[in-house]
Amino acid sequence: MNESLLEIVCCPLDKHDLDLEVIQRTDEEIAEGRLVCTECGEEYPIEDGIPNLLPPDMRDG
Amino acid sequence: MKGKQWYQTTDVVETYETKRFSQGGQLIDDREKRAVLDAIGPVGEKRVLEIACGTGRFTTLLAERGADIVGLDISSPMLREGRAKAVRAGVDSNIEFVRGDAARLPFPDDFFDTVFAMRFFHLADRPASFLAEMCRVSAEQVFFDTFNGRSTRSAYNWLLPMGSRLYGDSEVERLLAGAGLSLASAEHDFVLPYGLYRKLPNDLAADLRELDVALGETPVGDFLASVSYWNARVG
Repeated sequence: MNESLLEIVCCPLDKHDLDLEVIQRTDEEIAEGRLVCTECGEEYPIEDGIPNLLPPDMRDG
Repeated sequence: MKGKQWYQTTDVVETYETKRFSQGGQLIDDREKRAVLDAIGPVGEKRVLEIACGTGRFTTLLAERGADIVGLDISSPMLREGRAKAVRAGVDSNIEFVRGDAARLPFPDDFFDTVFAMRFFHLADRPASFLAEMCRVSAEQVFFDTFNGRSTRSAYNWLLPMGSRLYGDSEVERLLAGAGLSLASAEHDFVLPYGLYRKLPNDLAADLRELDVALGETPVGDFLASVSYWNARVG
């Protein structure tokens, strides 16, 4: 994902902003990392450059 | 197996487009793309969200036309395919793909100009909550298609592996009203069902499509159509 996506996405549960924690960055994008809700603290993984913003109860589907 | 699981199996993703949109299926692909462009184009500079973007057929199409677009899907294999397609088309800089739940979208209220979903509502177990959520994140427009209950599709619908929900006009109108949407325009097409076109080589499919369009223009055409495209405004 591009870092600019951070301005668009929010927590699917409470719609609060997300903080970005980068694990691996390539030239163009963030390949691996986490998005963390500033309100509820829920963590959403970024896998292969695609943020997984499924609510936690649906994540392992 | 229900749609949610069926569309996430890797072999379904790998054959998704070739099974549906080669041979006579090309006509379906063309018609769907025209429906999307007619309803939501021109898209230059528009903020667009596609729900259930799958392999990104429309996501890439709209990015090529200048939309600032996000594609959301529940399936990782579909999204990976979508990303690869966007890279091949050279439009990956104005597309973002997000894995998420259509009933709990990870976007703020009224963020997008247009939110749309193609071939999604026939898989939706809770259409009212999905439509309300699409409306929540859209400032202006919501666009989607349905497969119709009174159509020729109902003859083979029960055979389909993904399960498929069919709608009537009054049901869609109730759903729109319930979500806070008003209908701007609707189109009805395909008196002959998709499944028939997929089986046919191009020439035969083109002849059949001519007949289909002619039937569609008769007084009973809209009534018999198997697919409807619904273009709605927020508010």
